[in-house]
Amino acid sequence: MSELYQKLERIVSEKRISDNIYVRHAYSRNVSSNLQGVPDLVIRPSSAEEISEILKIANEENVSVIPRGGGDCEFGGSKPIGDTGIVLDTKSMNNILNLDEENLIVTVEAGISWGKLNEYLYHYGLYTGCLGPGSGMTSSIGGGISHHSVGGGGCAKYGACTNQLVSLEVVLPTGEIINTGSQANKHSKHPFNRFGNGPDLSSLFCGDNGIFGVKTKVSLQVFPKPEFASYKTFLMPRKSLEISAQIMNEIRQKGIDVYDTMYFMDLVVSLGIEYGMFPMWEHLKRKRGIIFYTIEANSEVELAVKVKQLDNIILNKKAEEFGPEISDGNIAKWHYVEQGHWLIAHNLWGLIPGFDPVDAECKVPINAYPKIMRDLDQWDLEHSEDMQKILEITGMRPVTGSGPIIMVKNNNVELTCGFSSFTSYYNGEKHTIIEEINIKLWKSLLERLVKHGVMFYMQGDILSRLMVDIDGYQKEYYELMKAIKKTIDPKQILSRGKYNFWGNNTDN
Amino acid sequence: MSQLKNLKKEWKAIMSCMGCGDCGYAIRPAVGRYLTCPVKEAMEEEGFEIYFSRGRMNVLKSILEGQIPLSKELAEWVYQCSECGNCTEVCHMSQNPYIVLPTCNWIDHVKVWEALRKDLIEAGFAPLDRHNDLIKYMNDDKKKNPYGEERNKKFEWIKEFPEIKDKGELMFFGGCTMPLRQVDTLRSMMKILRAANKEIAMTNEELCCGSIALRIGDEKSISAVIKQNIELFKEKGAKTLFTACAGCYRTWKKDYPELLGEELPFEVKHITEILIELLNNNQIPFKEIEQEDVKVTYHDPCHLGRHMNFYDIPREVISKIPGINLIEMKRTRNNAWCCGAGGGVKSQFPDLAIKISEERINEAIEAGALILTTSCPFCIGNLSDAYEKMDDSIKESIKVVDIIDLIASKL
Amino acid sequence: MSDIYHKLEKIVSDNYISKDIYVRHAYSRNVDVILQGIPDIVIRPRDAQEISEILKIANEENIAVIPRGAGICEFGGSKPIGNNGIVLDLKRMNNILNLDEENLIVTVEAGISWGKLNEYLCQFGLYTGCMGPGSGMSASIGGGISHHSVGGGGCAKYGACTNQLVSLEVVLPTGEIIETGSQANKYSKFPFNRFGNGPDFAGLFCGDNGIFGVKTKVSLQVFPKPKFAEYKTYLMPRKSAETAAQIMTDIRRCGIDVYDAMFIPDVVIAVGSQQGLFPLWDHIKKKRGIFFYTIEANSEIELLEKVKYLDEIISNTKSEYLGSEISDGNIAKWHYKEQGHWQFYHNLWGMFPSMQALSAECFCPINSFPKILRDIDQWDVEHNEDMQKIFNITKIRPISGSGPVALIDGNNVEITSGFVTFWGYYDNEFHKIIEETNLKLWKSLLERVIKHGTQWYMMGEFLSRFMVDIGAYSEEFYNLMKSIKKNLDPNMILSRGKFNFWGEK
Repeated sequence: MSELYQKLERIVSEKRISDNIYVRHAYSRNVSSNLQGVPDLVIRPSSAEEISEILKIANEENVSVIPRGGGDCEFGGSKPIGDTGIVLDTKSMNNILNLDEENLIVTVEAGISWGKLNEYLYHYGLYTGCLGPGSGMTSSIGGGISHHSVGGGGCAKYGACTNQLVSLEVVLPTGEIINTGSQANKHSKHPFNRFGNGPDLSSLFCGDNGIFGVKTKVSLQVFPKPEFASYKTFLMPRKSLEISAQIMNEIRQKGIDVYDTMYFMDLVVSLGIEYGMFPMWEHLKRKRGIIFYTIEANSEVELAVKVKQLDNIILNKKAEEFGPEISDGNIAKWHYVEQGHWLIAHNLWGLIPGFDPVDAECKVPINAYPKIMRDLDQWDLEHSEDMQKILEITGMRPVTGSGPIIMVKNNNVELTCGFSSFTSYYNGEKHTIIEEINIKLWKSLLERLVKHGVMFYMQGDILSRLMVDIDGYQKEYYELMKAIKKTIDPKQILSRGKYNFWGNNTDN
Repeated sequence: MSQLKNLKKEWKAIMSCMGCGDCGYAIRPAVGRYLTCPVKEAMEEEGFEIYFSRGRMNVLKSILEGQIPLSKELAEWVYQCSECGNCTEVCHMSQNPYIVLPTCNWIDHVKVWEALRKDLIEAGFAPLDRHNDLIKYMNDDKKKNPYGEERNKKFEWIKEFPEIKDKGELMFFGGCTMPLRQVDTLRSMMKILRAANKEIAMTNEELCCGSIALRIGDEKSISAVIKQNIELFKEKGAKTLFTACAGCYRTWKKDYPELLGEELPFEVKHITEILIELLNNNQIPFKEIEQEDVKVTYHDPCHLGRHMNFYDIPREVISKIPGINLIEMKRTRNNAWCCGAGGGVKSQFPDLAIKISEERINEAIEAGALILTTSCPFCIGNLSDAYEKMDDSIKESIKVVDIIDLIASKL
Repeated sequence: MSDIYHKLEKIVSDNYISKDIYVRHAYSRNVDVILQGIPDIVIRPRDAQEISEILKIANEENIAVIPRGAGICEFGGSKPIGNNGIVLDLKRMNNILNLDEENLIVTVEAGISWGKLNEYLCQFGLYTGCMGPGSGMSASIGGGISHHSVGGGGCAKYGACTNQLVSLEVVLPTGEIIETGSQANKYSKFPFNRFGNGPDFAGLFCGDNGIFGVKTKVSLQVFPKPKFAEYKTYLMPRKSAETAAQIMTDIRRCGIDVYDAMFIPDVVIAVGSQQGLFPLWDHIKKKRGIFFYTIEANSEIELLEKVKYLDEIISNTKSEYLGSEISDGNIAKWHYKEQGHWQFYHNLWGMFPSMQALSAECFCPINSFPKILRDIDQWDVEHNEDMQKIFNITKIRPISGSGPVALIDGNNVEITSGFVTFWGYYDNEFHKIIEETNLKLWKSLLERVIKHGTQWYMMGEFLSRFMVDIGAYSEEFYNLMKSIKKNLDPNMILSRGKFNFWGEK
């Protein structure tokens, strides 16, 4: 290892590489305590050229490399699978390289966060449209593209962040550095369009979960932030689950370009109020589901018309409007104006200490989610015995359900479903049984959802492998992915293990 | 693992951390939040996860699970933290009273760091070398202050002010830093009190408040001090104890009752509380100001601001000074950026402390201020040290001045 | 060959395969006056299974296969390169398979035209948003995806048609049939989303110009067609190109979701009017460039607001509004209401008998197009001598420039640049000099425009090879494309020759 260390140190300088045990442990987890992988080395490169050199050496030495942005993967995607390999911490590559104000395109280093980028753009009256994932204050633009991220706001209007992609600079696993889109023409000075000059190769790196290359630069379309916006929250009537889906569908049928629409299930509202999460809703007599929308417009007149169209749809379903202030219960205002959109997904975590989310986020058609949610309730009942075991140790039964159900572009929603359980370290002891049950339940839940035909996007370690293990992939699709993986990464060093692409290393 | 006695008490906090990373990267301009960890930002070159809260929480998870041990090496990492509390301020905090994200109920990051430090000391991996010196000086009967100065030097300045009585209802707690390092500011304070005809008392039997020991995690060194200090002032008949040091203020007002498990027999105030009273009663005679208003910005010391929720009174004080226009920096109040001196950073990692202060000074200049003022001798000391090392062009744009000196200069 | 022919006949039945020489010649050209390639066999398959078997045989026998939609490529993309191979005519696969009205997704066989699909959707109050390429009455959906087509209307609002893609069924060159997006999860019953389940493989087949696979099914997002629309045409002031570019930039800056915005250069108006193409503009004295926009809205009030903004932007320039009826000069109305958008590009072709276009259509940023148009004028002057050679025979000089400049995704436009020239066969004689000169000029113009850093989308045979030949591709990008091509199509049978991917010839 030490000769390898020296070779790598020469590339990045000694300050940017570490094999210290504490540093390595600091990188051994993502968001979810039950998955861990301790790397051998952590490196913080500062350029594509450095990454290229590092990957070349990794190939020579057959060492796996995991790229890491914000580290917010809920499926263990930016830590090694197994205690091995090099973590490439790209967060120091976080500069804004160019803002083309006339063409409304910004070029950034891939490690910059959505929060930092939007703070910068704000000074120019611009924004990225889709604000990235729910973890946007920390997660990186590169990570967003790698996972088709949604959830951080604006996705009903702008869709997943990959819709705004103009161009990428990517380091391939064998070290070549490529630029996609308009940049494929050598003579193009700046990225301006994604679609052309041959096949859309940038899409290989969209949603690839980091298996095909390491993104170093990203160019995104940006937009003038509309001057006017309205945000309203409504209390749902009975059968809130089905009715919320109807509302979302109607919004699409009428072609209203809503910026955000989100639905909170009855369970989240009632449990949340019980645990003091929503002081503004404490006065509610009927603790039912909540739906809210945000809509933007370029003028007050247009805004008024759109608001009327939206309100008609929602009020026709016998929903009740909250007042305009946050204190009246208008969570939509907190979400949009106070940038709560980058915190809202944290609503069920920590209901009691150590309450950890075990996530199964996926995208589904609007008209499918009520049925899926009801099936999850069913799944929960079927696994009562396992849930009991955790209750016995921790005094609280895990909760199955979904956080906010978020409209994304066209007729889909992001279903932030899963179950909240506990970390295996509870009250002074490590309870292996909790970890075992969590993994067992997690796999069972994921398999249940796969069989509903849902689409996963952030797959990381556990989900990418599970889908292959339960034979959830259409065979030809998986073979194509494998073939391309072998072509681009012959030794399978990049994100080794995801989708069961191990190379010669059969560590698992 | 009896080694982890204190850390284990904080298991709920550690296991509630789900690794979102906002403790390093939070940006929400709508609520005035621009980044979180001063150490992480100062160490941007090295910038590994272990330099901020999330990475450390991950390490602690591994430690609780028995994967890796405590060690001196670990101590070297974790003491690079001023315990400013910005991470706690951000962690799942909606910054709106109507939304309470549950996790914020369980994680007080600073408590975790304090517990870890206690365990490191118990296990013998801490204090680190310079901290060790500080504790030694504090415990040394001939010194009894972290600066290693001879014991009575702290009280020499009192001789210049014979009107200060030995006992009374309003007593001043001098602390160690001001008498030993910023005694001119104390003279300014007396100038103000004289001009306002305010009588105070002070005793030369007071002991160092012990804040240093608390931040370093040495519980033993502080336990003796607390009782002695409280008894002393009780016996002197104090009804109100006030101090000009934010560190002493926080230690007296918050830590002492917590450690003791009971209320203090007198109230504790900060100098600005005394000053605001005087200002409100027009007891401070200012001279006529002819020139234009000078832009002044106020730096919230962590010990006063985030730790004690004490934001408004110093601002009221500044607003009442004639010829001053109070403006705010980008990161203010509960989002304020630490100066970098606290938590033992100044003594053990002086370069780091200065680098952090440089950022704060630049922020003040960016806000357009000509004077950066605050009410904490640690902040003044560290900001001034950083200031000395900066370019001449910086020195021409701004000055660093304690509130007390600011007022005194206008008399 | 007859052995192979029989094998293939067994797959599709004798009705759908031909080696007749006249049939083969019917498939030997696309839309351009120069390129020709006569296939050996023409097949009209019915579905992905048949295509899969055909490709397997083609691999065994090492025969090139060219997929063909409507055959409207302006760079010879859906005919063989050289006289050989099999043309797969996909127009037989033109059914609508499913309209998911609730989720607003339509699934079609890839050979269906944009015109037919939109006619169907119209009955449900829906449309495809972007109407495909300018040749949309004939051009296939599959072809649109293969080339990131724009130009047929709606691209300012919806971008290239690939933006609406939800899912593809593709037959890989080695015969496997794959479905992308949500369908990668084999438990998903129908396509609903493109982005997930792993890398976005649909993107490989977007803009691939038919080299990576044969598309058989396409699922597109569709949209409720807004009830209200307004369309206005303006005569530009002097410096018409710069003014139009400024208007388009301002529209983007203000975030107005205009449906179409197009600029027609001076030369088109001038020459076209001369030739009697535009009676609607006969009354205009100063024949300068024209700019028009179309905007849609869900209500009259919103429409009025948006029109107000647009009018404000345009009123800052010295443009002249042309009145609301087509007879007033309002070409925008013809474009939108009478679906003129699917004939729009035919404006310069046939200005004179047998006059046709050699295209250099590309994408570029809005703020670059005036400069590029001027440079094309410059290029024309520099090649006067060659132009003369053609003039000497036909007595009409080729015209360089651009047709309509259309606003598309983001801050980009499609410039339909090129030059109109003549077939080599003129006035009952074949003139080799015309053909040689055309070829020379075409390459010269393409190279000139490529060096402006533009982006090409419909590349066909001619341009895909040309870009490689002049070294315009960044090495790494080309190598990645090549290695993927080798992987998917080891014998390089599909669209053999494009991008210089020949395999063992």
